[in-house]
Amino acid sequence: MEETEIGEVIGSSNTEFIAESSLLHNPPPFGSFIKVDGREPIYAVVINAYTHSLEPNRLAIAYHRSEQELRDEQPQIFELLKTKFEAVIIGHEQDGTIRHRLPPQPPRLHSFVHTCSPIEVRRLTSQLQFFRFLLTVEKAPREELIAGVIRAAYAVRDGERSFLVHAGKELVRLIGDDYEMLSSILHRIQD
Amino acid sequence: MRELRRRVGVVVNGSLVAGLEMKLDEWYSVEDIRAGKFVVIEGEKSRFFCMVIDVRLDATNPQVLADPPSEEDELIRQVLHGSATYGTVCLRPLLMMDKDEVVAGHGDPHLVKTIPVHFSVVCEAEEEDVNQVFGSEDMGTQFFHIGRPLDMETPICIDLESFVERSNGIFGKTGTGKTFLTRLVLSGLIHSNRAVNLIYDMHSEYGWQATQEAGNGRGSFVKGLKQLFGSRVSIFTLDPESARRRGIQSDFNVKIPYNQITVEDIASLSEELNLNPTAVESAYLIVNRFGREWLSELLKQDPKDIKDFAEHVGAHPESISALHRKLKRLEKFDFLQERVSEDTVYKILEFIDKGVHIVLEFGQQSSFLCYMLVSNILTRRLHDQYVMKTERFLSTGKPQDKPKQLIITIEEAHKFLNPTAARQTIFGTIAREMRKYFVSLLIVDQRPSSIDDEVLSQVGTRITSLLSDEKDINAVLTGVSNANWLRSVLASLDSKQQALLMGHAVPMPVVIRTRDYDHVFYSAMGAVEGEALAQKAQSNIADLFGDR
Repeated sequence: MEETEIGEVIGSSNTEFIAESSLLHNPPPFGSFIKVDGREPIYAVVINAYTHSLEPNRLAIAYHRSEQELRDEQPQIFELLKTKFEAVIIGHEQDGTIRHRLPPQPPRLHSFVHTCSPIEVRRLTSQLQFFRFLLTVEKAPREELIAGVIRAAYAVRDGERSFLVHAGKELVRLIGDDYEMLSSILHRIQD
Repeated sequence: MRELRRRVGVVVNGSLVAGLEMKLDEWYSVEDIRAGKFVVIEGEKSRFFCMVIDVRLDATNPQVLADPPSEEDELIRQVLHGSATYGTVCLRPLLMMDKDEVVAGHGDPHLVKTIPVHFSVVCEAEEEDVNQVFGSEDMGTQFFHIGRPLDMETPICIDLESFVERSNGIFGKTGTGKTFLTRLVLSGLIHSNRAVNLIYDMHSEYGWQATQEAGNGRGSFVKGLKQLFGSRVSIFTLDPESARRRGIQSDFNVKIPYNQITVEDIASLSEELNLNPTAVESAYLIVNRFGREWLSELLKQDPKDIKDFAEHVGAHPESISALHRKLKRLEKFDFLQERVSEDTVYKILEFIDKGVHIVLEFGQQSSFLCYMLVSNILTRRLHDQYVMKTERFLSTGKPQDKPKQLIITIEEAHKFLNPTAARQTIFGTIAREMRKYFVSLLIVDQRPSSIDDEVLSQVGTRITSLLSDEKDINAVLTGVSNANWLRSVLASLDSKQQALLMGHAVPMPVVIRTRDYDHVFYSAMGAVEGEALAQKAQSNIADLFGDR
């Protein structure tokens, strides 16, 4: 059974894309794994999410009511808000195998976005070279992002601690010369 | 076979002269790497046999060392281990062998002339590697199992054929098992029959039983050579009383006539007897007058008549008086006599010709003076006899005239072979001229730094247990080329039952745990004991008298 989509691509490039969340205030979690539907699905990691007004020159204003009161009194304002999220592409599927490299074409606009199933997360994170993509991200604090990704991958592994060590060692290879960043990530992923 | 090998790491750096560096695999604990460990590198075309000489902790980033993870940061420690922080092992390649030859199962390892390519895999050595390098007892009696590598159960053998060709040394601080090693080596030599041994046994610990100082059964008695090899070993003694007290049946009581003592013998004892050079010169004057009987003539003199005696020989009275006084000490040795019924040297030669090994026990006469005097006198004459025998052999060329290879074991060798003595005593000559006359030395000593460099450089095989004095370590490494790296190995030996073998009889230096000198060893040497002995006795009785 196909899962319901969590969003729709509204802007894309070879390295990242923007999607509009299906539910207001409910984007996929920061650092979680998502995929874009298509003949050859594209995998990505959520690096940013935000909610804003539909009209660019009309800012949301404070009403000093609780959300429930607002929904009762002025339901229309929620129709004017949108939640969007941004994701960095970490790989794609080709002939049934996951390739940890950029897809030849960017995700198509209006494609649906899904969260990855635990099995897909395990497959995706069986190799961790994609950390390199995350290190180029500038829109989010990289320590937080990588720690979030490792936690998400660890969550589908029933406390398999050796995965944390393996991920840590991959990081040493990538950012061994930046011990501060390395240890701050490692501190974040310790249980 | 190759899949069974346990990986240790990969080669990352190095040179032929300075040695190789290996990055230790993360799953291999640095604490399992011991200096002296034997490892094998699978190169592209050759297999290299190496020894671990140093282990070092390294980090890719110095910042890690400045801010080490705390004890609670278990994950960080695990992550850093083997990646940002790792062990580096320094290896010394010693021998190499073509891989084709390895596969074909023939060919001998030869000295390294190159180094393996980058990232060659380093593995723990296996039994077949050890056998390939050191040979095994199955390959013939010339190989004698002397011990095992530090972390393996495969026997390491020395090649006795090469061993007996040169003078050899057993060195080590006191209490590190020199006597034990010597007994082991002597057993091997006797068992294999490669050479006849003459052992100057200062403390009477080789011939009959002695107490064990270490290992299993510490404090118990271990068998002596006579007990192990029976009639192939005979015990000569200088002190029949002591032998009797210890319940030993000696084969010959050594007596030495005064006329066999030469001035050279006395001169080499000048330190022990506190003689000055003038005394030696005076002694020559007496020899001029009385010839071989000089010593008995001198000792016969009453102190009152010394002046006349000095005038008679033309020497200074004071000097002769001092010489007389000092040499009087010799009179208290019971084994020195005016006349003897049987000449010890001829007796020794007779035994040697029969291939019987001789342990000469000193019993209570274990002073340096006595030890040096007796061993000098006997060895000098033995050497003369051997020179004659060799010359006869060289002139006739008949195999039956070939003298039996003789190995003389001396303890406290630095007394004989220190730079001054080595030029005077016969042992210096033997050590230098080596195998030319079929006589070589087995030098047992705790102070190799006091031994003459020239002698040390001629020592073929060195078996060294722990030495801590820098001077002694340097001395032991004299004559070993490029030996600096062995220093750390030598200093890190255990004080018991470990030794470094290097030199002529082993293809590469190696650290061993010495073989246990126990019942297993006794039976390997062919000794029969306990129940087996009773059975053998029964069957001998049956053979002699028939079944009753």
